[in-house]
Parts: sequence; structure tokens; C-alpha cells
Amino acid sequence: MLRGVIAKRIAQLGIVRHGLALIATVLLGGLLSAVLVRFAPGFDSDEQELDLHLNSQSIQALRQARLDQHNIFHFYLHSLNRAAHGDLGTSISLGQPVTTLLRQRIPLTVRLVGLGLATAWLLALGLALSAAWIRIAAYDALNTFLSGIFLCLPAAVLALLSVLWRVPAALVIASIVFPQLYRYARNLLAQGYASPHIITARAKGIAELRILFWHVIPVAAPELLAVAGISVSLAVGTAIPVEALCGLAGIGHLAWQAALARDLPLLMNITILVTLVTLLANSTADVIGKALRGHEA
Amino acid sequence: MCTQHRKSFLISIAACFILAGSAFGQGELRFCLRSEPKTFEPLKVEDEASATIRYLTGGVLVRMNRQTQALEPELAQSWKVSKDGKQIIFKLRSGISFSDGTPFSAEDVAYTVQQLMDPALHSPTGDAFRSGPGNVETKIISPTQISITFPAPVAGLDHQFDQVAIMSAHSPKKEMAVLGPFMVDDYKPGASLLLKRNPNYWKTDEQGRHLPYIDSIRLDIQPNRDVEMLRFKRNELDLINTLDSEYFDKLGAISPQLVHDAGPSLDSEQMWFNEVAKSPLPAYKKAWFRSEAFRRAISEAINREDLSRVVFRGHAQPAVGPVSPANKFWFNAKLKPESYSPDTALKALQAEGFRMENGTLKDKDGNAVVFSIITNSGNKYRERMATMIQDDLQKIGVHVNVVTLDFPSLIERMTQSFDYEAILLGLTNVGLDPNEQMNVWLSSSDNHQWNPSEKAPETAWEAEIDKLMREQASSADPKKRKEAFDRVQEIVFEEAPFIYLVNRNALSAVAANVQGASPVILVPQTYWNVERISLK
Repeated sequence: MLRGVIAKRIAQLGIVRHGLALIATVLLGGLLSAVLVRFAPGFDSDEQELDLHLNSQSIQALRQARLDQHNIFHFYLHSLNRAAHGDLGTSISLGQPVTTLLRQRIPLTVRLVGLGLATAWLLALGLALSAAWIRIAAYDALNTFLSGIFLCLPAAVLALLSVLWRVPAALVIASIVFPQLYRYARNLLAQGYASPHIITARAKGIAELRILFWHVIPVAAPELLAVAGISVSLAVGTAIPVEALCGLAGIGHLAWQAALARDLPLLMNITILVTLVTLLANSTADVIGKALRGHEA
Repeated sequence: MCTQHRKSFLISIAACFILAGSAFGQGELRFCLRSEPKTFEPLKVEDEASATIRYLTGGVLVRMNRQTQALEPELAQSWKVSKDGKQIIFKLRSGISFSDGTPFSAEDVAYTVQQLMDPALHSPTGDAFRSGPGNVETKIISPTQISITFPAPVAGLDHQFDQVAIMSAHSPKKEMAVLGPFMVDDYKPGASLLLKRNPNYWKTDEQGRHLPYIDSIRLDIQPNRDVEMLRFKRNELDLINTLDSEYFDKLGAISPQLVHDAGPSLDSEQMWFNEVAKSPLPAYKKAWFRSEAFRRAISEAINREDLSRVVFRGHAQPAVGPVSPANKFWFNAKLKPESYSPDTALKALQAEGFRMENGTLKDKDGNAVVFSIITNSGNKYRERMATMIQDDLQKIGVHVNVVTLDFPSLIERMTQSFDYEAILLGLTNVGLDPNEQMNVWLSSSDNHQWNPSEKAPETAWEAEIDKLMREQASSADPKKRKEAFDRVQEIVFEEAPFIYLVNRNALSAVAANVQGASPVILVPQTYWNVERISLK
């Protein structure tokens, strides 16, 4: 009986469909990144070939090492097969197993992205709520102006400023993500507060906190959850230039190095990882959003 | 009273020890690595960062003094190279241990050499010893004496051992057991590396104090030079090993005592034309680029003094050829930098059938002389040099397009597709011996960049260079070797396969709290005497 209810609920939420779509997208993302790297100019070259100490045999050995990556479909299937056994291959540019490199770098990026996201959400929701609550045009304009400035600044400029002013890099990620969140959250909350039943409730003198938590947030929650999924993708994407420019040894820095060196095994695995994380975040937000809407209905 | 005297005496002694301790044996030296070290295995070193770790941690049999450019004994007390240049016998010091306490002996040297010469290792250090086919033989004469015999003569054989860090044959710690002044203590991948003083390091100073003076070295991995400079200014770093001329002047304007210009380095900036027969260039362009008169004329039309003055703010010298004047022994002092003379260049081109039409130079078939110079993007000095060359050549009617490419794309064009017309790049010379450049000059080599991997020399002058390079490599007589390599430099000057532009100066920065640093032109410029560096 219970099993039947759970299965029905899973079907309703489309978890299986989401899961299948996720796997297919991740595999396709990995293949696309591999194809892009394979056909990028300079794929076949290695800076080490210019080492004047190397003799012809050593240079040929370097070139030979890249030969097994020429047939990209063969390489990709072989890589997937190895990955199924826990081996993600070896980085060409750093000469270390990809698994080791990822294990070393993931904690820093998780910390950086996590802190950045938390700060961005706190800031965005705080300002959006206060703007919707206070409803003073000047305050709203000031917040919009502030978020507009951050929206205009490229991630690279903010990263360099953070180095110059010794600001934690997580704040750079927060500065990039916050304006996007703020604008969306502000509009949602303003919309919520403008709905007839809220106006009536306010007119009847119902407490503001009760209005916020019982009537405004539940309505805005599914949309905010969808934005939460997107904010993860945004934060992960921002981490690449931020880590590269601030010299932080995370996944973003590694991706930058891999791209410069046309390091196919490393870049392909990082792409798969990033695709997986962003899709998981979006799918989770999607499923929870659906569940909330279903609950409301 | 007596007790008081004794107390004072003891306090004085203690104070002396504290003071001595503060001058020597304390503190952490901090500087940056520009990339992550690829390996800690000294025999596999191929990148600059790993070479730095090897220099700081590895014990070598002999070491070239970076200041005097003379070879000095280290783990080997003495050594002797056979007349035919094939064999070297080392007499080793006794009573030395690796950082983990494993004793050092001739067995470790034999093990290191055998590992190094394994063809499957493809070690750049090992390849430098490979002068002919066959195996290397090591013979342990006694625990402190070993002979190493190579199948063919190796020129500058003893000097090559400067790069060979001896590994332990028996230590369970493998490459982490070292004989150098420091050992790896902590490694945060992608972030930093901490080296700690090797407690078993064998050297002492003239006063009998154990070297090195400093306790540890923190190496931060920082590819961004702006950030490196910023951190140096904030006193977060003690050294910058190679400083750009722009930063040198900026820092020098604030604190002149912190910056050091050691004069022209061994590195050169040069350009060359594509002379590869199978390249996808039109035949008339191939004909220009393969013409010695064309190359010399282009060389004469480039104002090297201006390149040095404008691009490098005076911190570079016009280059003569493959050897920098800083390489005192091997530089051919008879040669002078090509003088800037656009008029002479134009006349030489006209003598070859080129003609000027409405400000454009055309060849005898009426093709306008237009070509592109490729250089690596992001290197502002090379980009500026290429732009200045563009201006210089415009004066003789030659139109140049400057193209910047990222390094992998450039290397692919240079080494595989040969789809380029001219390239502007630099050559980093680590060693002084001409054998370091063997793979550039031999026409059969992959690094014979203007026309790699020739089956047989395609020109008479390349055949002569091949012969001279092989002659000098097989001779143990420095005078004969010098004569042969002087002639190579003359041929290169006359034929201009590489148009040498400038030799950059060795610029560095040393913080005021660092004592004993004496920057030189050879790598590693600022910390070559790291064991004698102390901190205030």
C-alpha cells in the first residue's frame, strides 16, 4: 500500500524522468566537451616538446601519448568504461590521476561556492524582504542601483579587486550571484505583497510576520527554489575565473589550467562533474518545487 | 658577588646564543612558484617549478657556482674525466646521510645513473647525457668511489651532473629522502609547498655552523605576476626571481635597494622564418624565406637598440647570436650586434631583384612583400616587439601583420602543421655549455625550428654546423670546442636562420630582511646560494 503511494508520488514528481534526463545530459555534456577539446587548435602539441634537452625519441614518445585520444568516440567510450571501474584517467599536463586532483580540489570549491551562495542569498533575501516590507521608493531605488552596479562588474574585475583589498574570494562569488537573486526575489515578493488577499489581510491588521510566512513566502517559494537551482550554476561558473585570478587551488583553477593545456582527460571529467552538480541542483529544485505546488494544491 | 658574576656571564652567553639564533637558523623564506610542480622525482623534472624543488632539496655530486660559473665539489670530493670524454670517476665524501638517515654511498650514485639513463623514462636530464647508442656502465670501485662510462663522449660531462640529484637506492621514502639543504615537509596541491631544513645536511660554514641558516622555505604557487608583485610590496614575499622590466622600474622608483639588475641574461628573444619545404606557404614566400639575403636584410632593418630601450625600458641588450655575452667562455666576442641600417637592407633586397613600388616592396614576380609574425598572446613584451618590428619593416616597404596565438596553437603550427610565416619567441638557456643547444643546431633535430627533422642537411651551411656541433661534442679539449662553436656562431650570424633581437637582463627583487642574497644571471638567480641566505 505504502509502496504504491511512494511509487505514485515518484511518478507524479517525475523523478525517474529527471534522473534519466540528468544521466543523458551529463553523458552528452562530457562528449561535447571532449569533442571541443579534441578539435581545439593546439590539441596535438605539448609545450614540453620545446625542451632543448629532449631527444627525438622522447619527443616522439610525447606525441605518441596523445595519439590514443585522436579517435574521440573510442577515447570517450574507453574513458566511460574506466570511470565505471573508478579510474578517471591521468591528467596530461599535471601527470597525476584525475581522481586525486579532483579529490584535492573539490573541498575548496565547495567551501567557496557554498559560502558565496549563502552570502548572496542572505543579502538578496534580506534586501528584497526589507524593500517589499518598507515600501519606500528611495530605499528600493538604492537597492536596485546597488545590485545594478554589481551586475555590470565583470567577475574578473571583482576577483582582482578582492586580491587588492584582501577580501575573501567567497564574497566575489556572492557579489556576482546576489544582484541576479535580488532582482528576482524583489519582484516576486513585490508581486506577492501586491496581490488582493494580502492587501485585504494588511487592511484587516494581520501581523506582518504572519502575512510574510503564511501568505507571501509559500506563494513565492516554488519560483525561488527554481532560482536557487540556477544560482548554483551561476556560482560554479563564477568560481572558474575567481579561482584562476585569485590563485585558489579549486576545481575552477584546475579547469582553467586544463583548458590552457588542452588536457582532455582532466577537462572532460571536470565538465562532467560541473554538469552533474548544476543539473542535480536544478533537478532537485524542480522536484521540490513540484512537491510544494502539489502540497498547496 | 661571585654568584652575581656567574649569573651575568650565563645571561651574556644566553644572549649571544639568542642573537646568533636570530641571525642564523631562524625564519622562513617566502617566494612564489609560477606553476604547480609536476613531480618531486628529481630525475623526471621537466618544468621550472619542479626544477626549483630539485635545486632546493636535491644533493648533487658537483655544483656550478652561479656567480663564478666554475664547477665546485659537493657530494663528490673530486672527480676526473677521461681524455676521450666517455668516463668520469667520482671520489665521494663519506659519513653523509639522506634526510631520513639512510647512509649515502656509491651505490646510490650507481642507482641514480641507472634510473636516469632508462630510455623509458624520457627524462630531459637523462637525454642530455645520451650522445650515442649503447648502455651506460657504472662500476662501484669502493663505497666512496665510482666510475661511470658512457657509450660515446659526452661534452662537458662533469658539468651535466649539476642537474642530477642523487636518489637513495635503499630508502623506503624513495624520492622524498634527499641530500640537499631542504626537504619537502608539506604540500598543499595547487596552493603552496613548505620545505623544511634537512637535519642531516652535511655542509657547515667557515665558522662551523650547520647550513642552511634558515629553517624553512614557503613556496606559494602563484601564476599571476601582478599578484606576486602585490604580495612582495605587502612584505608577504621575500624574493621575486625574475622580474619584468615594467615592475622593476615601478618597484625601483619606490625602493631602489630592493631591485637588482644583474645585466644581460642567457635568454634571448628571436624571430625566424618558416623554411620548411613541405609547409603550406606559396612558393614565392618559401623562396624569400630560404634566401639568406632576404633574412639578413630583414635583420638589418630591425632597430634592436629601440627594442631594448622602448620595450624593455633599457633592461635588455641587442642580441648577437645564440650565445649571450653573459656566457663569458662560449660567447664569440668577435661578433657585434647587427647594425640598424634600413638603407643597406633595401639595397641588399634590390640587388636580389626586389623593387619598391609606391612604398611597397615587391619581388621580381611582382608579389608584394607581406608576411605575418606570430607570437604568444599574453606576452606583452613580445607583442610590443612585434609591433615595433612591424613599424621598422614598413620603412623598407615590407608589410607585417602581427598575430597572437595561445601557446598550444602556436606550438602546433611551429612543430606540426608548419602553417606560419614568421615566429617571434624566446629561448631560455639554463646551461652555459653549447651542448645545451645541440637539439637546436643539428639539422636532423625536432627542435631545429626553422626547418625541423631534415633527413639530410638541406643547405651547405647547415651541413657545416652539423659537423662543427658534432666535433665540439666529441672533443674533451675546451680550446677545440670553443673554436668549433665560435665558427657555428659566425655561420648563424651570416645566414640568420634565427634573427636574434635582444638578451633580456636578469632582473630580480629581494626584500630588505633577506641577508646574503646576491642575484646573478644564471638560474636560480636570487636563491642560488640558498643555504647561506639568512633573514633579519
